[in-house]
Amino acid sequence: MKVLLVGEGAREHAIASAICRSPQGPRLYAAMRSMNPGIRELCLRSGGDVALGDSMDPEFISKAADRFSVDFVFIGPEEPLFRGAANAVEDMGIPCIGARREAAEIEMSKAFMRRLMWRHKIPGRLRFQAFRSIEDAIAYIEEYAESVAIKPARQAGGKGVKVIADFQAYLSKEKGHVKAEHAKAIEAKYMKGYADIEDRILIEERVEGPEYTIQMFTDGDSVAPFPLVQDNKNAYDMDIGPETGGMGSISGNGMLLPFITREEYDASVDIVRRCVKAIESELGVKYKGVISGQMMLTPIWGPTIIEFYSRFGDPEGVNVLPLLRTDMVEIMEAIASAKLHKVKMEFEEAATVVKCFAPKGYPERRDLAAGHPVRIDAEAIRAMGCEVFYGSVDLAQDGGLITGGSRICEIFAKGEEIPEISDRIERCSPLIYCLDGWGVFHRSDIGSAALLSRRIEQSNLIRDVYKYRMGKGLIGMDIDWIPGKGKIVHSVW
Amino acid sequence: MAGIIGLYGYDPVWKMARFIYYGLMALQHRGQESCGISVYDGERILCDGRAGMVDQAFGEAELEALRGWIGIGQVDPEPPKGRIVSKPFFAKCPIGVSLVCDGSAAGAVEAARERGFAAEDPQGALAALLSKELADGDPFGAVERITGRLGGACNFIALTERGEMIAYRGELGIKPMVVGNFGFDYGAIASESCALDVIGAELKADLSPGEVYLFTPWSIERRRIGEADPKYCAFEYVYLARPDSIINGKSVYEVRRRIGERLALESDVRDADSVLAVPETAIPFALSFANFTKKPIEMGFVQTGRRVRSAIRPTQFERLVGVQLKLNPIRAAMAGRRVILVDDSVVRGTTTKNTVKIMRNRMGAKEVHVRIGSPRIISQCPFGMEVPDKDELIAAHLNEEEVGKVVEADTFHWLSLEGLVEAIGLPRESLCLGCFTGEYPGRGDRN
Repeated sequence: MKVLLVGEGAREHAIASAICRSPQGPRLYAAMRSMNPGIRELCLRSGGDVALGDSMDPEFISKAADRFSVDFVFIGPEEPLFRGAANAVEDMGIPCIGARREAAEIEMSKAFMRRLMWRHKIPGRLRFQAFRSIEDAIAYIEEYAESVAIKPARQAGGKGVKVIADFQAYLSKEKGHVKAEHAKAIEAKYMKGYADIEDRILIEERVEGPEYTIQMFTDGDSVAPFPLVQDNKNAYDMDIGPETGGMGSISGNGMLLPFITREEYDASVDIVRRCVKAIESELGVKYKGVISGQMMLTPIWGPTIIEFYSRFGDPEGVNVLPLLRTDMVEIMEAIASAKLHKVKMEFEEAATVVKCFAPKGYPERRDLAAGHPVRIDAEAIRAMGCEVFYGSVDLAQDGGLITGGSRICEIFAKGEEIPEISDRIERCSPLIYCLDGWGVFHRSDIGSAALLSRRIEQSNLIRDVYKYRMGKGLIGMDIDWIPGKGKIVHSVW
Repeated sequence: MAGIIGLYGYDPVWKMARFIYYGLMALQHRGQESCGISVYDGERILCDGRAGMVDQAFGEAELEALRGWIGIGQVDPEPPKGRIVSKPFFAKCPIGVSLVCDGSAAGAVEAARERGFAAEDPQGALAALLSKELADGDPFGAVERITGRLGGACNFIALTERGEMIAYRGELGIKPMVVGNFGFDYGAIASESCALDVIGAELKADLSPGEVYLFTPWSIERRRIGEADPKYCAFEYVYLARPDSIINGKSVYEVRRRIGERLALESDVRDADSVLAVPETAIPFALSFANFTKKPIEMGFVQTGRRVRSAIRPTQFERLVGVQLKLNPIRAAMAGRRVILVDDSVVRGTTTKNTVKIMRNRMGAKEVHVRIGSPRIISQCPFGMEVPDKDELIAAHLNEEEVGKVVEADTFHWLSLEGLVEAIGLPRESLCLGCFTGEYPGRGDRN
């Protein structure tokens, strides 16, 4: 059994590690843009190999699959999916874990995703407007937009989203300016070079609440969910600072998070499952691979979809993949043969914490963050009961590591209690440093008791609100009274 | 005392002047004589200092001119000297720095003189020193070299022409300082959390005594400098801070509610008919006094004109005008009644005497029992809180009974010091109680 893994981040390192744990002893091959030392080692140890090249390019991927004559391809990141890598591989007759181009639209086009949810009346959907021209978007912002999220209509590496709470009339002018300027920036910066989509800008109603991620495998018919994970997006401690791809995440103990109920978990799985079915009924394509709902508990709905991923989250995947006890090869085979319902997903019963370490400069100035020689003392980290998943680093010819500008590595640990695990990872932080003295930072508060109690407090508040609205029959509804017009009911039903 | 704020946009698309303006309005109670805003526009620092209250001093045109995504601001109880308002101070020797501060920076004048700057104002001296030290690179090192001379009772926020914002809370932590955040858009530092609320930002934490926050265009770092020795100002809870603020992890409103209960425990008047508050600070004291003793609370006074903090006006005449304007009594609330009058402080006794006399002699109150939600103020604050000289403090000279006779009250009571400490709920050794005891932490240099 030979498996080709596409991608070079910490998420792919965690996938690689899960594949290599299979008792069937698969040989792992990798198609990577840069040399991830962790994936490389797993490939070589399992008797596989590495192909370096443009890992987003379907042609490069199919060539590697052909060259290594693999039995399966597992695609880690979203961008190759958007470019049709799964289609290319499947056209060669090789089963692929990763959505086909059409199905990956659920992540690539946020407008498609919202329209799909509305057409199929799937709960957890937000009101939105999609725009094909920047002028229309700005006109809309000037006329209507209050508290909104303004997003590139296409998934653009997780960048370019601005969420503006606009409650104080006395600050509206400034915020209006920022919204309009951001709409321009989306076209000029974040959507630049993406000609594969007609919608350009998406404006959604802004919602507030605790966020969490539900990740699952699907064969297009049934879903096999992982434990819930919560990521932390602000760059610095106490949720301060600009948005990053994620600075660290927590899970467990078990399938739930300390602030999400079983009922909310089930509702979240159901939303994602219904979207998978909706994709098939609209596009005639079975979704085979990984699908994740980036969710929020909101006053409007309770569990609500913020975005979809056609892949594992990063860092969220790193929390739960190490807990997977079920044979990955068995799962891949079941997905390929549409028999996922026969696979029993088993997880180690544990809580987990992942913390991301990034060079100073990330996320705003990746140019400053890149190119530094970095040392990660993996052995000492392991000795402390933690595990390294390599991220944006390149293994140089001389065996040293060079930062790539994004998160260097993610440190994973598991145990009974989240705060204890967080402390254990903290003790590893001196073991990750740049050899040229350039700063490396991480968030010390992820998994701390203080942050956890903040999340619980926030969830309790939002839960009270959506339960109240449920009791009043207001879920998915908003009623205004406008002089001269009377009662206006905005209902999604 | 002063109110200061600093906002750091993570994206140059933000224009921060208006956010600072409203943040300063929320801090207006910390200083009403002058105010100023500085912003950084990517190249230069633009400063604008003016006399008066924030909403009088800054109009549309002034705010529009202050374009920049990083900025600081200050409200100050000190009237401008002469025609030019120099706060926030700007110095460039050689690194351009604008600085706002709260607390006593007196030590900076001497330190600046040693470095060859003839600054008279402590805040100006501090700006000059920081400007010079920052030339050596590491901002934490620069702050450390300067703050050793400040005596631990000074907070500041500095803006540099390199696009950095540096916030420091003195290692005694006398003055409050909090950090907050707005989404993925800006970070905020402010004297009190009410300023964050008003601009929609979320309170994250107090700065610990001796903590420095450094914001740069590509990082936010924090570090502790010097030995933290918390001596939180108790008077913030009694009078200075706004009741909607949370400082040192304690809700000011909750502390004031407990003060009212303590006052009731210490000195209820069983057969009084009602409780009245002298607006505005004493309202929570009076509310909880009334709730606790199950007496009706009545509205006793109506204020004329804008809200003025009478006790921190610069001259005795202005203080008197301030008090008289905010105290037009409502006859129906007191005529023929035995009332408990709750106030926040008695400094000289003159305003209390005026109030009690009007209530009894003109409005016909039958009895007036004065209860003060603050312990006796006997000493002048060396850390920049505007308390008069000891010679002018009635509590430093007369006991309760004597004061009662001076102000012509039926009975008179000050909250006990123990009562205050319990109401605050922080360990006594972590509080500065100097204005009630005369004992000050650190060197306690006179400002």
